[in-house]
Amino acid sequence: MRLNIRAVALCVALLVNQGASAVDLPQRWVSAGGALSEWVSALGGESKLVGVDTTSQHPESLRALPSIGYQRQLSAEGVLSLRPQILVGTEEMGPPPVLAQIRSAGVQVELFSATPDLPTLRGNLQHLGQLLGTEAEAAQLFDRYQKQLTQQHTRVVEAQRKQKAPGVLLLVGSSGGKPLVAGKGTSADWLLQQAGGHNLATHGGYKSFSVESLAGLNPDVLVFADRALSGEEARAALFRENPILSSTRAARDGRVMELDPTLLVGGLGPRLPQSLVELTAGFYPVESATAP
Amino acid sequence: MTALVKPRTLFIGLGVLCLLATWLSLALGPVSLPLLDTLRAALRLLGLPVAVDGLEQAELILGQIRLPRTLLGLAVGGVLALSGVAMQGLFRNPLADPGLVGVSSGAALGAAFAIVAGSALGGVPEAFGPYVLSLCAFLGGLGVTALVYRLGRRNGQTHVATMLLAGIALTALSGSAVGLFTYLADDATLRTLTFWNLGSLNGASYARLWPLLLVSAGVALWLPRRARELNALLLGESEAAHLGVNVEALKRELVFCTALGVGAAVAAAGMIGFVGLVVPHLVRLVAGPDHRVLLPASVLAGASLLLLADLVARLALAPAELPIGIVTAFIGAPFFLYLLVRGRA
Repeated sequence: MRLNIRAVALCVALLVNQGASAVDLPQRWVSAGGALSEWVSALGGESKLVGVDTTSQHPESLRALPSIGYQRQLSAEGVLSLRPQILVGTEEMGPPPVLAQIRSAGVQVELFSATPDLPTLRGNLQHLGQLLGTEAEAAQLFDRYQKQLTQQHTRVVEAQRKQKAPGVLLLVGSSGGKPLVAGKGTSADWLLQQAGGHNLATHGGYKSFSVESLAGLNPDVLVFADRALSGEEARAALFRENPILSSTRAARDGRVMELDPTLLVGGLGPRLPQSLVELTAGFYPVESATAP
Repeated sequence: MTALVKPRTLFIGLGVLCLLATWLSLALGPVSLPLLDTLRAALRLLGLPVAVDGLEQAELILGQIRLPRTLLGLAVGGVLALSGVAMQGLFRNPLADPGLVGVSSGAALGAAFAIVAGSALGGVPEAFGPYVLSLCAFLGGLGVTALVYRLGRRNGQTHVATMLLAGIALTALSGSAVGLFTYLADDATLRTLTFWNLGSLNGASYARLWPLLLVSAGVALWLPRRARELNALLLGESEAAHLGVNVEALKRELVFCTALGVGAAVAAAGMIGFVGLVVPHLVRLVAGPDHRVLLPASVLAGASLLLLADLVARLALAPAELPIGIVTAFIGAPFFLYLLVRGRA
């Protein structure tokens, strides 16, 4: 009997202890920003998420969570109705008066930078790790990520020693038939560079492009980042509508690739290295295939 | 067109509707509060001594989120509908809306300038952001309207038809300038611009509310004093002049009040279509064309419609939110069609 009481006391003490450490860390999370939500999940915080914004589409299970709308257009009461303890998002999250209202309701609001570079990512992961109580995992995750990007860099340098960097154009959102081309300074441009492609576009931002000048640039590879354009059929239709597009070298050689458009939003995400590997493989086809 | 209901019945009905809409706007939202808590928090906001126990959340939601939002909705809805009446009276055309004198497109131009130029200059300090946007939108609306008015004046007289055409031309011109800003904008800025164009009462705060409340109260008190002159104007400009109305002064006042009211509303809540065009129509269908009834009744009807639309905007996709511009047309247009069809039968 005495032993029993002791056992119960021990159990209670353990429970209380666990409870105490859990209270310090926020348990109900709302996350805005695709890449950020992915990192929260990767760091084991998925079960703590009670709501995400419309850009958080990965991992698949996040889509089942309540949607707080578009990250720039949050509603204070909507977010509060999920009774979160913390709201994490990129600097794009807003509008500012709504964030102030959410803060004044006692919810911790944490902003993360979406700049696509490794020092930013290191800081973001560290911060997330602290908030989730998984600092060790965060450090590990970052090391692995850094290694993957270094390997990627080596791969590109090696490939470029043997082959010329291909001229690439990345097209998004061609719902009206006219594709937007990713120019300098965009996250798409950065992605193409990392994959070893040479972005032929010289303008800044995403601009609609006349099909004629697009053909004049004559890209070796076309990359489509648009959900509406995934699949052979949709692309075939686009080429039918824009005959000049199909006369480009890329279309003739069948070097047309797909990229998940969610990779272009919200900074470096966990799925990036794998996509870079695939892009590089497409940019630099294996020698033996072309060798006589 | 004669009145379907007596003015007194109409005002009682609209008054009740407006109070009901106000209460619903305070009591309902994505966060569900017990009715009793809402009541007690509302009483506390009115300054009555009510025990605070367990009321912090209700008080915060009600006082900091729902009340400013409700006040914003009342002011914006009322002033948009009122400006609609003023414009329809001025142009003696039921198809006129406040956009005709260029105030909406001017405000859109000002906002686009603030959003795009602000982000190109590395962003305005976060604390000033909303103020700069509102101020630019307000000044844009006022500026373009002043220009339209100037272009309509010849030999000391304002030609309404010329003003109308000038308004159309300047609206097109502002539209192309907004298009140019849109082209120059980056992806994120573009999104902000799109959402601004759909309007929203989201994120209302007292600091940004006061200027609008002052302006709309001023306009709402001033315009009904011109009801008789507006009635005379219905007969025609020269007829009104013969009846002793100072037509030039009246036109100037109408344009100025509209520019001020709509400019302030758009600056605070973005573009919210439909209210200014259709609410005066709705009221006219029910109450007849007498401006003594039409003006105050439109204020009540516009405010109620906007609050109810905002309620839908908040609740339909909760915890996310719809832009209110989508909802006003979605609720109002079918109702308007119903009245039209019923009126013909």
